[in-house]
Amino acid sequence: MLDLSDRALAVLLLAPAAILLSLIIVYPVLRLLYTSFFSLSLTSGLPAEFVGLENYQLMIEDPVFWETTWNTVLITLITVPGALFVGLGLALLANLPFGMQWPVRLSLLIPWALPLSFAGLIFAWFFHSEYGVVNDVLARFGFPGVIWFNSPNLAFAAICLTIVWKTSSFMALIILAGLQTIPRSLYEAADVDGAGRIRQFFEITLPLLKPAIVVALIFRTITALQTFDIPFMMTGGGPGTSTATLAMYIHQNTVSFLDLGYGSALAVVMFALSMCVTAVYLRIIRTKE
Amino acid sequence: MASVSLRKLEKSYGSLRIVKGIDLTIEDGEFVVFVGPSGCGKSTTLRMVAGLESISGGEVLIGDRVVNKLAPRERDIAMVFQDYALYPHKTVRENMGFSLKVRGVAVKDAESRIGEAAEMLGIAHLLDRKPGQLSGGQRQRVAMGRAIVRRPQVFLFDEPLSNLDAKLRGQVRTEIKRLHQQIGTTIIYVTHDQVEAMTLADRIVILRGGDIEQVGTPDEVYNQPQSVFVGGFVGSPAMNFAKVTVDGDALRFANGDRLPLSGLNRGRDGAMEGRELIVGIRPEHFVTLADPAMTLSARVQVVEPLGSDTLVHFQIGGETLTARMPPEMRPAVGSEMRLGLDPSKVHLFDAKTERTIA
Ligand SMILES: Nc1ncnc2c1ncn2[C@@H]1O[C@H](COP(=O)(O)OP(=O)(O)OP(=O)(O)O)[C@@H](O)[C@H]1O
Ligand SMILES: [Mg+2]
Repeated sequence: MLDLSDRALAVLLLAPAAILLSLIIVYPVLRLLYTSFFSLSLTSGLPAEFVGLENYQLMIEDPVFWETTWNTVLITLITVPGALFVGLGLALLANLPFGMQWPVRLSLLIPWALPLSFAGLIFAWFFHSEYGVVNDVLARFGFPGVIWFNSPNLAFAAICLTIVWKTSSFMALIILAGLQTIPRSLYEAADVDGAGRIRQFFEITLPLLKPAIVVALIFRTITALQTFDIPFMMTGGGPGTSTATLAMYIHQNTVSFLDLGYGSALAVVMFALSMCVTAVYLRIIRTKE
Repeated sequence: MASVSLRKLEKSYGSLRIVKGIDLTIEDGEFVVFVGPSGCGKSTTLRMVAGLESISGGEVLIGDRVVNKLAPRERDIAMVFQDYALYPHKTVRENMGFSLKVRGVAVKDAESRIGEAAEMLGIAHLLDRKPGQLSGGQRQRVAMGRAIVRRPQVFLFDEPLSNLDAKLRGQVRTEIKRLHQQIGTTIIYVTHDQVEAMTLADRIVILRGGDIEQVGTPDEVYNQPQSVFVGGFVGSPAMNFAKVTVDGDALRFANGDRLPLSGLNRGRDGAMEGRELIVGIRPEHFVTLADPAMTLSARVQVVEPLGSDTLVHFQIGGETLTARMPPEMRPAVGSEMRLGLDPSKVHLFDAKTERTIA
């Protein structure tokens, strides 16, 4: 009797959140999935036509899909660990017990607060072949200038560098928050126990940071899979499609070509990719417990 | 094992002097307790011995080695922290064995030392748990175990019992004392609880505002407090104080009662005519059968039966005094009675310096 009313109460209390959640998340996702089964191109002038899995069939045969997906995965594989290491370093630096902590913390906040596309613009100028600081510095050390955005590999490297710069401060902020939850007395105990700084880092800091790091990694990986602004502003995906990402390809199909059916199918794939990654991380957390 | 010497030990934060030149020699194997009110510099002093706090002036010696410049790990000390500071991601075994692992003690040797310490502390069945799965008392024991396996020259304890409930505190206190008797290592122990200090210490160091107020055995600080502060700090309920004036051959109380100086064992030394003094008398040193000359007239205010004895709060002049009376004593509230004093247990302090009079 009590159980039943408890359950009813639970449902009642959860209902508003559940309804809101389904309105803003579940509905759009289902709608996306639904659209991906249609041939719906606003430029063709034809009415929407149910085509089943045809959009997915097209995708498998589309080399640009494979290239942009590969680029996206590569960017994720490079910039996520990159941002983790740089962010960890910055966080450790910002956590040092010096009096002047605010300059470090401020410099952590600035890249984080900057809009992505703005970061893309700034770095596009940094890597500019004639006016950019990067070539200027190279020239001062006697190296020839490089036309960064003409070479697929260099353009890709420049993008990855920019993303690491832009995103490591986010990593650093989360890790810094994690660092500050570790009681100082643990380090004092380790001092007395005889462990040096490096040993303390691996035996205390790193294990206790694991939850913070996993959370930061989930956020960072998902945003990496959705990389758009920075390559869009720096290279527009070029040369050719060598630096285009999946998100840029979705944007091109839906916004430029107005091919909503195919664009939706691509978006479904990206969504699935994000879900897989999240599931993996959640599994990692759970086995940790 | 080793002795520990503090020589003119000082600590300042900027212009703020926290520890003001402490001189103290702790013998090899001695159990010394630092006690004092909050903020008097106990932890700071202990942490300077540990090497966790830099030394602003003076010296710390462990054995005959000046350790001022040595890192904590080079001082061969072990410390039990107030919050225990157990590594939350390591098991009890790993917590206890960490220092041994770091120092490269052979695994087999380490295992036997951990086992031995765990046996001694009754935590052998907990070795594979993490600190999060332990009760407060168990954590406290693990923290002690971690210190014991080290076999250090000196143990440092910073309020190790303050996170335990009263019953457990008493129990673990006894265990710490037994432990000291068993392993005999020098211990410096910090607490703000005078009962802990009295029960544990070979010698008590009473700190006040960064200075030593008095050093002595528990008996000495209890029976011969050098100042009003020590008298009031040691013992529970606290010592009673009353302002008196030397008037002829007697001490005159605010209510006009007179206590003949000749009745006090200490005689008249230092009790010059007209001098303002403070009389200190412990609650347990009031007596029911007394020389009528050695009594005060008091009005009963509150009666607190404790079972083992009865606490009676009296009003004498403007001051409230507490007396520990036999359990069957139940004076009526508001009644006037004569309160007897044990003349050998009356302490006299100068009213200005608050130090005992010579
Ligand atoms: N980093 C610091 N800067 C300035 N003052 C400090 C600092 N650390 C401690 N103090 C001051 O030093 C004094 C002594 O502190 P300490 O921790 O030694 O006190 P304690 O006797 O251990 O007190 P408690 O019983 O509360 O633990 C306190 O008044 C405290 O405010
Ligand atoms: Mg303290």
